[in-house]
Amino acid sequence: MNRLERDLSESLKRREPPPGFAERVLAHTFASEKPGFSGWQWLAVAALLVVMVGGVAFVREHRRQAEAERNKQQLMVALQITSSKLNRVQERLSVIQQRIIELRLEQ
Amino acid sequence: MTKADFESVVREQQGMVYSIACNFFHNTGIAEEIAQDVFLQLYESRLSVETGAHCIAWLRRSTVHRCIDMLRRSSFRNEVQVEVLPEVPVDMPETDPFLQERLRRLVASLPETPRAVLVLRFGEDMDAAEIGRTLQMPVRTVWSHLQRATALIREKASHFLKENDDEPVRTRP
Repeated sequence: MNRLERDLSESLKRREPPPGFAERVLAHTFASEKPGFSGWQWLAVAALLVVMVGGVAFVREHRRQAEAERNKQQLMVALQITSSKLNRVQERLSVIQQRIIELRLEQ
Repeated sequence: MTKADFESVVREQQGMVYSIACNFFHNTGIAEEIAQDVFLQLYESRLSVETGAHCIAWLRRSTVHRCIDMLRRSSFRNEVQVEVLPEVPVDMPETDPFLQERLRRLVASLPETPRAVLVLRFGEDMDAAEIGRTLQMPVRTVWSHLQRATALIREKASHFLKENDDEPVRTRP
């Protein structure tokens, strides 16, 4: 090592930072730390999401089944009304046929 | 990296990070700012400090790259004017604060890459291979930068630094 290199080594030797520097670095670093989730917090969030998605799916299925049941009831009522109407028509036709037969016999 | 690990690294390596930045810019305020940023980056990167050597290498590399980035972005490039430095006394002691100050300013006036090489070589006492790994350049390039930088400093300092290995007392020509 020549003279210039020795002088450079002496000039650029390690310098200590000002007092309290480490404390300021630590305070600044921890202050700027963004709140993050730990492992169990992520697990809780995932469980909550599963429950929410499952709940939404359950409610939708429940609503779909209720709608189907309501439609079925309405169809049954409609069939019953139709059936009673047909019975009444059938009865009237029978009366008319009986009346025609009686008129023909009278003639 | 836990908070305790980080705190330990800051306390142990603050001098190294601060010195690299301080020697690079010859400015304590900027050195503090850069050191702060480097440690914050270390903490946010969640680097696993498996070995102390790994952590030191990461800190050196990050500090030098941050210094170079800041130099490229800012107006610090021409902040140090060698011509306006104070005159040095004729009879200088072996450890002369004027000479050291002048050399520090000369180093801080160099272009970014040779400056980084000089700071790592003489400030951190790293060999060419280590500097090459840190700055991601071939060893031959490191040697080239070293030779050119020392030649430039010798030339700029020729009027106040008489280099003579056999002559311990330096005098102005």
